Amino acid sequence: MAARVLQQCVRSFARPSLRLCSSNLALRVTAVQAVAVHRPLSFAADSRRTRWLVQSRIPSVGVLCRQYGDLPPLTLETIKERVMYVLKLYDKINPEKLQTSSHFMKDLGLDSLDQVEIIMAMEDEFGFEIPDAEAEKLMTPEEIVQYIADKKDVYE
Amino acid sequence: MASTAATRTAAGAAKVVKPIFSRDLDEAKRRVRELYRAWYREVPNTVAMFQLDITTRQGRDKVREMFDKNKHITDPRVIDMLVIKGKMELQETIHVWKQKTHIMRYFYESEEPRPTDFLSKFYRGHDQ
Repeated sequence: MAARVLQQCVRSFARPSLRLCSSNLALRVTAVQAVAVHRPLSFAADSRRTRWLVQSRIPSVGVLCRQYGDLPPLTLETIKERVMYVLKLYDKINPEKLQTSSHFMKDLGLDSLDQVEIIMAMEDEFGFEIPDAEAEKLMTPEEIVQYIADKKDVYE
Repeated sequence: MASTAATRTAAGAAKVVKPIFSRDLDEAKRRVRELYRAWYREVPNTVAMFQLDITTRQGRDKVREMFDKNKHITDPRVIDMLVIKGKMELQETIHVWKQKTHIMRYFYESEEPRPTDFLSKFYRGHDQ
């Protein structure tokens, strides 16, 4: 039943969106009864719609909207893994002694300039600038993860 | 001038002096960190631009060595002056006003270190 409602929505959207979609897509919109011929490009970007489409067998709905490319969404675990990975690659840190709560200066015996280098490595990893006023306070990997989660709006 | 003479003579007393850029040690250290960041990011570009025969890591170690040489200084005015000189060097390096030989001058010792133990001083000619 939901599929039939959506078919009607699809037909009403078909006319104005003909200009947006390529001719290939317009053909799909009209052939609603087509068997699921998946175009992996259009379905990869929106997993929610993909799941719904697999259930209802209307492959053409997903191609009506624009597809943007983006990185996978950040979670606290992925941020923590990436931060620890970058820290383990740093040659002045002993990887066995590294924990999330290990202080750079007190536990790991690093310098303030070493801490600057670590923060720069984090900037390169996550792709955004960390100003020095806030960077000088980040002294443990846990704080770095919290800061990045604050800046990137990652909730838990 | 009068203020600098006063600061030089009264070493023990805490006098209020006219700062160069930063008012206290924290601000001066912040400037040092900013300068270090700028140099750190500049080293690979320098190695590429001047076609130096060193690796990026060697260049960055040399930058760290130059910063560590002045690690012990606590006077904010001295730190500010050193930061200004470092910024001048950075500007000359970025704009390629220097040449390869000027950059490579950092990499060899131009003066011999002074002898500290008795025997080296004896060989030089000083008995104390």
